[in-house]
Amino acid sequence: MSIAFTLIVTLGLLGAATFLIGFSKGVGEAVREYRNPQPEGAWIDEGHYGVGALFAVVASAVVIALVGVAPAWIYAGPLLAIVTATGVGVAFLMGNRRSPTAPKA
Amino acid sequence: MDKSVLALTNGLSPALGFAIMIGLGIFLLALSFAIKTALVRNTHDFIIADRKVGFGFGVGSVIAVWTWAMAVMMSSAMTYQWGLSGLFWFVVPNGFAVIAMIPFARILRRNMPQGYTISEFVKYRFAHSKVASGIVTLTMIFGILLEILINLKGTSVVISTVFSVDWKVAAIVGIVCVLTYSYFGGLWTSVMTGTLNTLMVTVPAAIVVAAVYDHVHGGAPAVFDAVAAANPRNLSVLRPDAAAGFGITLAFGLLAATVADQTFWQKVWAIRGPEVARTFFWAGALFYPIPICLGMLGLVGIAFGITATDIGGDIAAIGPYVVSHVGLPVALVILYVLSILAACYSTIDGASAALSSVVAVDIVKRYWPATNEGPLFVITKLSMLGGGVVATLIVLSGVDFTTLVLTTYALKTSILLPLVLAILWPRTNTIGFVGGVALAILIGMPIYETQGELIGTLSIVVISGMTVLIAGHAGSARFDIASLRRVGDDIAAQQTAVIVQPAE
Repeated sequence: MSIAFTLIVTLGLLGAATFLIGFSKGVGEAVREYRNPQPEGAWIDEGHYGVGALFAVVASAVVIALVGVAPAWIYAGPLLAIVTATGVGVAFLMGNRRSPTAPKA
Repeated sequence: MDKSVLALTNGLSPALGFAIMIGLGIFLLALSFAIKTALVRNTHDFIIADRKVGFGFGVGSVIAVWTWAMAVMMSSAMTYQWGLSGLFWFVVPNGFAVIAMIPFARILRRNMPQGYTISEFVKYRFAHSKVASGIVTLTMIFGILLEILINLKGTSVVISTVFSVDWKVAAIVGIVCVLTYSYFGGLWTSVMTGTLNTLMVTVPAAIVVAAVYDHVHGGAPAVFDAVAAANPRNLSVLRPDAAAGFGITLAFGLLAATVADQTFWQKVWAIRGPEVARTFFWAGALFYPIPICLGMLGLVGIAFGITATDIGGDIAAIGPYVVSHVGLPVALVILYVLSILAACYSTIDGASAALSSVVAVDIVKRYWPATNEGPLFVITKLSMLGGGVVATLIVLSGVDFTTLVLTTYALKTSILLPLVLAILWPRTNTIGFVGGVALAILIGMPIYETQGELIGTLSIVVISGMTVLIAGHAGSARFDIASLRRVGDDIAAQQTAVIVQPAE
């Protein structure tokens, strides 16, 4: 087994663990919410995603272009796929925003 | 690199293929039973998850429904066909199409908080115009059927390539597995199983792709050199023929595939209001690595000089062929198949859930508003089975479903700009909306047929948009989108009435 493969398997397992921890938290929250529903209060979403979107688009294009520069970049795809799994786990762990007018738990 | 060293991994029997398909189905069925028991009481829960889908499930499930068989298999195929330019044009608009939903999703989720479907929005936006909402409903149904068809086809391609199973049998087993589990829990099932499937697509795909390069003699550098030797342009992202050949058309098609797709709008109204925008941003950004990762299998196909004939004539099979012939252990081939099946199952499941919302809101409640909760719940669930059966029959009939693809494409591309303007531009009116779609199909499609995809697509988009703009400027009416806040929740209201009744 190459170092790259070993590294990807190790990081993959860590990413999967993060995902599953987050997923368990998400399921628990969904069931609690179902048993004790809170009405959706007024909410404000003032997030700006233009710069982030541009970064994501450009970053994906750059990563693909770099694959054509050096063979090591071939492994960027698998590494980033693990980032996706980890990212979903992190999204669960970050949790939901509390709407400003919603009653506090 | 010599392709004569490639040989099918031993032990990949048809029985193993069926066991994987059915095993995954049974696992997801058990999960859906638990979800149904814990989270689904009525039609409202079934089709909109009580509008309580949080950030994590939102991100995971949006990635899952967008990760079609297309993303996992065509990313390899486009790389195999066009080199890195193919991957570039396939991937870059793909994630952006999800992020592009943000402004529209934000406006409608805020101004029409009780919404269910995009056809329902069109109904209220255009003074209950049956023609306008009918066009959109029809487009959504065609789009959903196409999603099921394509992913069913994807399931059968991977199973028949890797396990030498008859593709028709694989399609039947696949649809039975998905519909069995998705029937029970509706959107909550789709969201939770889809999110789990996102894990099954990502980490296994990363491990399998790395293992493939590990098993190729000389590893990544050898593949890199062989790809360059085959054609130096394979390592460039700037091939103009890839852009003209499919890239630009695909970019428009992908935008239409999200903005004009109920699968996504159902998520918009099911996700908690404050989470909608950041959910679509995260999902779009985190989607990118999946096709980039799997696209690397296409380079291996080029490096070995595999021809389309070697893989049965369908280049979508290049990924499954490489993985099953490069000498990987059976366990890793199974991991790859599971990741493809997870992508296909979750998209079919998400499309079926979207169909249930269209049937409940845009057909049953619109034309038979007095339908009670009991029959509505049953019809809603049965509609998922109906959609699956129709799609399966089309696949099994062996007919070339080009007509369905073209019809859906024409409808979706034609309504893209009118729909966008209906959300953003208050002067958009019914005549412009309906006229834009009709003219785009009547004039644009013949151009598409005669002048090719690029000119045809641009014509459809320009005709539909210009018609809406001209009609809007000619008329004087202005629509106040905030008026949609008065739109009630018919389905939830009915259930409240049912619950209240005994106490009266």
